[in-house]
Amino acid sequence: MSAVANYIHRDSFVHRLSPLTKLFWSFLLMTLSCFFRDPLVLAGLFLSIALVALAAGILKEMLPVFKGLLVIAGLFILFQIFFITDGTTLFTLIPGTSIGRVTDVGLIGCLAMGARMIVIAASFPVLMGTTQIKDLVVVLVEKLKIPYPYAFMFVTSLRFVPTFMQEMDQIIQAQSSRAHRLDNKNFVRRFLSVCPLAIPLMVTSVKRAERMAISMETRGFGVGPRTNLHVKEFRTVDAAVCVCLLVAGIAFVALHVKGVLV
Amino acid sequence: MIKVANLHYKYQSGLEVLHGLSFRIGKGEFVALIGQNGAGKTTLLKQFNALLKPTAGSVGIAGLDTAKSSTGELSRKVGFLFQNPDHQIFMPTVAKEIGFGPKNLHLSKGEIEARVAEAAQAVGLTRYLGHNPLLLSKGQRQRVAFASVLSMQPEILVLDEPTTGQDYQEGIEIMEMVKKLNEQGHTIVFVTHDMELVATYARRVIVLSRGRVLLDDSCRNVFYHPEILKQTNLFPPQIARLAQAFAGEGLFKRPLTVDEMYEEILALASRPEGAKNVCCS
Repeated sequence: MSAVANYIHRDSFVHRLSPLTKLFWSFLLMTLSCFFRDPLVLAGLFLSIALVALAAGILKEMLPVFKGLLVIAGLFILFQIFFITDGTTLFTLIPGTSIGRVTDVGLIGCLAMGARMIVIAASFPVLMGTTQIKDLVVVLVEKLKIPYPYAFMFVTSLRFVPTFMQEMDQIIQAQSSRAHRLDNKNFVRRFLSVCPLAIPLMVTSVKRAERMAISMETRGFGVGPRTNLHVKEFRTVDAAVCVCLLVAGIAFVALHVKGVLV
Repeated sequence: MIKVANLHYKYQSGLEVLHGLSFRIGKGEFVALIGQNGAGKTTLLKQFNALLKPTAGSVGIAGLDTAKSSTGELSRKVGFLFQNPDHQIFMPTVAKEIGFGPKNLHLSKGEIEARVAEAAQAVGLTRYLGHNPLLLSKGQRQRVAFASVLSMQPEILVLDEPTTGQDYQEGIEIMEMVKKLNEQGHTIVFVTHDMELVATYARRVIVLSRGRVLLDDSCRNVFYHPEILKQTNLFPPQIARLAQAFAGEGLFKRPLTVDEMYEEILALASRPEGAKNVCCS
């Protein structure tokens, strides 16, 4: 899952696009997903994300991420589907009773919510996989006028996701070496068994943040205006891609307004 | 005690780190695992308590096959001291931290208290039992981690760079504790990049290079094979290198430590022709 926030180096058309174009693409997909509730349309939007990943040559790396999102969406559907009682009953978990009732409205609604969640979340790893963090910071600061400390904080938190996962792995190993078990059948005990993992992770994270702050301050962080060594220009091709995306977006919304796509 | 047979290990990423290792470590041995970064030392250590399981081949610990045992089960036999104590410390007091492992073994309260007291005494932390371990120095935190391993009363102690980040004195004190435990019958396997420590404490050295055993011999024999060690970017301790520099003169036997060389110089000086040799050299 470290691929969620990791840049994957390839020499592709998608990689060469400006981060601003890719941010626009991601934002457009998120917006469109809110318009539609037909699971098939949402599945189509998800497919478009997978095609972009394929064009960027990072589909293989993205597959575990997509698989994880599908699992989360599945759990989300499972937790919701039995609580929607509107519509015609399709089946019940225990035949002849109302226990575990699944209705047509519930099924379609939950599928739509799950698919929407996947579309909203799936474009982000593709964006991060095809964009170097430094380029993203420059765009956030220079073009979107986000204050540099906030932009830096945002990208740094992403940068440390894989590091924290490695730390967590070490902590799990250290605690299981002392016979600590995480697979407790008792729910309360299982919840409490997270403490031996969470506390060391928190402590090491705070220490890491402190060290990083000192290291940055000693290298002049926050002193005077910044300059950028490399600036990824917004080129004509970026403008063309944005126009195409905008036209496609408007077309989708128009079809939705006309009732062709729901 | 430890039986490694044709051990292969490949990470999920497809990177194969261990390529058919085979060796045995007997009860009460004091073994150093050395090799350059990426040689597979830590990967091998983690096989001993089933944190990692063989891709092929087998690892036997006191008759138990690690492929069929969990880390928890093996924790009674193998104590694992990690490089960074902060990866395990979470309890509000040193006593509770040391008692965490025995508590997981469902021991009685009296037994836990006895083990905590014994382990704290072994590492010299008795007066810190009521302190918050997170507020102690790095050296003391490493001692807490060590005590929390000792409180499990394992027969085998596996130490992954136990002196990293410690000052010289702390490092020596930790290794002296380990030596004492070895004298009490514990089997010790440790990884380090400090060749002086290896020369001072280990009796047997296994040199790993790119996931294979390059040398497996007594400490003295290993350090007097500098040409083989060089293949894996390792250098013998300075005393051994100094003795090798005089190899042509036939002055020294094969000293590894300052004390050993001092003894040899004294012995040389006590012989009339030896004294002349020492002065001229």
